[in-house]
Amino acid sequence: MPSLREVQRAVARGIFSADGDEAVEHIAEDAIGAAERFAIHRNNAAVTLIEALRLVYPVVDKLVGTEFFAGAARAFIARHPPHTACLNDYGAEFADFLGAFPAAAGLAYLPDVARLEWAVHGSLNAPDDAVLEPAALATLCESARGRVRFVPHPAVRLLTVRCPADAIWRAVRDGDDAALAGIALNVASISLLVERRREGIAMRRLTPSEAHVTALLFSGAALSDVALQRDGATVVSLIAEHLAYGRFAGFAAPAFAGGHEN
Amino acid sequence: MSAASAPTDRVPEQISARAGIGLRFPHHQAVIARRPRVAWFEVHSENYLGGGAPLRDLETIRRDYPLSLHGVGLSLGSVDGLDAVHLDRVAALATRIEPGLVSEHLTWSISDGDYLGDLLPLPLTEEALDVVCENVDRFQNALRRRILVENPSSYLRYRHSTIAESEFLVAVVRRTGCGILCDISNIFVSAANHGWDAHSYLAALPPAAIEEFHLAGSSVRPLGDGATLRIDDHGSPVDPAVWAMFGEAVQRFGALPTLIEWDSNIPPLETLISEADHASAVLRQAQEITADAEFA
Repeated sequence: MPSLREVQRAVARGIFSADGDEAVEHIAEDAIGAAERFAIHRNNAAVTLIEALRLVYPVVDKLVGTEFFAGAARAFIARHPPHTACLNDYGAEFADFLGAFPAAAGLAYLPDVARLEWAVHGSLNAPDDAVLEPAALATLCESARGRVRFVPHPAVRLLTVRCPADAIWRAVRDGDDAALAGIALNVASISLLVERRREGIAMRRLTPSEAHVTALLFSGAALSDVALQRDGATVVSLIAEHLAYGRFAGFAAPAFAGGHEN
Repeated sequence: MSAASAPTDRVPEQISARAGIGLRFPHHQAVIARRPRVAWFEVHSENYLGGGAPLRDLETIRRDYPLSLHGVGLSLGSVDGLDAVHLDRVAALATRIEPGLVSEHLTWSISDGDYLGDLLPLPLTEEALDVVCENVDRFQNALRRRILVENPSSYLRYRHSTIAESEFLVAVVRRTGCGILCDISNIFVSAANHGWDAHSYLAALPPAAIEEFHLAGSSVRPLGDGATLRIDDHGSPVDPAVWAMFGEAVQRFGALPTLIEWDSNIPPLETLISEADHASAVLRQAQEITADAEFA
């Protein structure tokens, strides 16, 4: 009698690859063949995972069409099966996969649109951590301010794309074909800040300087180090904006070695 | 969070012996805005393990309705055991939502860490029984409550199975103290696909363990040579044959919380409410008959 582990491994291989022979050997046959019976589960699994990816990447789906999307998703699933039953967390590698997918080679903008959709999806499903209230910073003494390291809110994403992925995303979402046709694809790289607000997802293009400072802030760099990088006015106004939109969840102001914080 | 610190603006968690509806994303806003006359809702736990709008909606809905958490991803039949991270997330959701019922399937979906995207049937062997019981124990310990295990719909059986599915389920109940979510449609579907007798299946289940019924639509898929398989696609009204079996089950096990499930081609909320009303009428009739018998 085969062990449970042998059976589960054989079925898993049969679900994710075209080779279901080993799984079928374990399945009872009657008027209906074992392969036909197994095919129902293979199809269920494929449909579930393809549709889960379609929910995360609705704009890519509309850009390439239902059939092309299903084909790309099938190839992706075989290469990157989900490692979680929480399908909201599945599909992070889809953008990179599309970048190397031969059938999508003519669609240079597609991986960046997917990258943006993953950021949007992550923002929408991020935990509802409390946002940092600016008043909390007022309690700090002057000497501690330079040591402040911000913690970005989990619903905020910063990414750089090499095409106007934000304009494409908006045009497709709004079904605006004229706007889509008018988008110039040849642009320098664009830094995007993606966040969720009460009314839905918001995107803002950042200047290279704003993107640099924001990346430093989000990576937890000390405020004194961030201020050294750029002119103080840019840093101050950017931090004010980030605070106003709730882009930080908190901060730490660790004392210097041996020092004590009041 | 203990019961003492739970939000006080919620209805109690208990789910009555009436019909509820499987709540999916397309109906969140309608339920929040209109607060329809539905006894309770059941949701798939896996859809609420993140944050953002889905979880916020669920907490809003929980104020007005008791909820049941129905898992589709814990993989009670995995030989590898339960995924600790997933289990923690489900436990945290249960603490947050305070569900009246928590359930999972007598199936497996995970092998060597890969999630297969379907509820797969188990080889019904002593080895699989040990695995399921160990996983159910761990699930119940993590949630510190009794959970319900649902009989699956299946399209295949394994050559080396040695135990009838109903017996297997009864053994899990006996060894772990869990309850049974009796999915009437799944019995109907599996009976059609394997030539089982649905009535004998029902008769083999211990009445004291049954705590919930599921009802859903299915369809017939023709295969090449005139044979067919019945597919549990949750995409149509409940079949008349399933309503008849439901009547039989209610007579046998009594009136219990009953869920209308619809997952593909999801219809307007009104259609689901109308199906639930039908189920409630069957439950009410059974309760009246019981009351009359007691009175006499």
